[in-house]
Amino acid sequence: MRLLTWLVIGVALCGATLPPVLGAQGKPLNVTGVRGVTFGPVFPGVPRVISRTDPANAGQFDMSHTKFNPIQLTFTLPSVMVGPAGATMPLFFGANDAGYSSPETITSQVGFDPRVPFTTALDKNGRAAVFIGGRAQPAPSQRAGAYTATITLTVTVLP
Amino acid sequence: MRISKLSLAVLALVISASAAQAQTNNASITATATVQTPINVIGAQALNFGNVFPGVNKTVAATDLTNAGRFDVTGQASAPVTLSFTLPATLSSGANTMPIDTYTGIHADNAAQTGGTAFNPVTGASPTLSATGGLFVWVGARVVPATNQAQGVYTANVTMTVVY
Repeated sequence: MRLLTWLVIGVALCGATLPPVLGAQGKPLNVTGVRGVTFGPVFPGVPRVISRTDPANAGQFDMSHTKFNPIQLTFTLPSVMVGPAGATMPLFFGANDAGYSSPETITSQVGFDPRVPFTTALDKNGRAAVFIGGRAQPAPSQRAGAYTATITLTVTVLP
Repeated sequence: MRISKLSLAVLALVISASAAQAQTNNASITATATVQTPINVIGAQALNFGNVFPGVNKTVAATDLTNAGRFDVTGQASAPVTLSFTLPATLSSGANTMPIDTYTGIHADNAAQTGGTAFNPVTGASPTLSATGGLFVWVGARVVPATNQAQGVYTANVTMTVVY
């Protein structure tokens, strides 16, 4: 019987060390970066806007977890893109630059502000997509070259 | 029996803790852009009317490679640009003025004006930079001196603005 007790405790401790992305039902929370935000060729002094509904250039994340789970989406957004020799180009996100899509289609989104956490719930399929656009604002004297920045989406399953 | 109850209690506690723990995951994507070459504009040659006589109009054609004003533009290869102008209505010499009543323009991708395209500087133009990112723009005009035009050297500024 003592052996049984230690066995139970051991199993319990192992369970406690499982990655936090495993749910109570054992279904993992998956978040995947599908596509980046592509501003393409940008001319000095000419702002370039990418809509969250742009099928070719909007950024996209996919996620999956247990159906009907409430979740919170939080973006970590860069304020600049970094280019040659450390040159920077301002990057802006507006109040309607992100979209949540339960059917995972870019044509069916609920817009939200990527600058603040957004709370929603997964549907019966337990899957969703998030799209994001933004505005690049090159200066008139912006140095020519390739610029990049990283956008991170954190998904938290709410209790 | 007591041991079994303890085991169940430990299991229940752990399961409760797991269920209450907030679960998070994240992913990243990249934002990318390619900034094109900035535009550079040089006033390469002044619009020169030379000697003008009172009462005799004088025209410098945009095709006049010697006397037409010329701007040289460099920028991103094959990029479309928009040209706009600030055109003076008169030349000035101190308090005296001499009207300019007509402007003409030509843009080409080479300094010899080969294959150039005529345009009206008043309304501007929308040419495309050459495969090497160059553009040449000439401006001509006509001055209309009065019959009693005062003698002197008359000048004014012609400004061209180029944007992508």
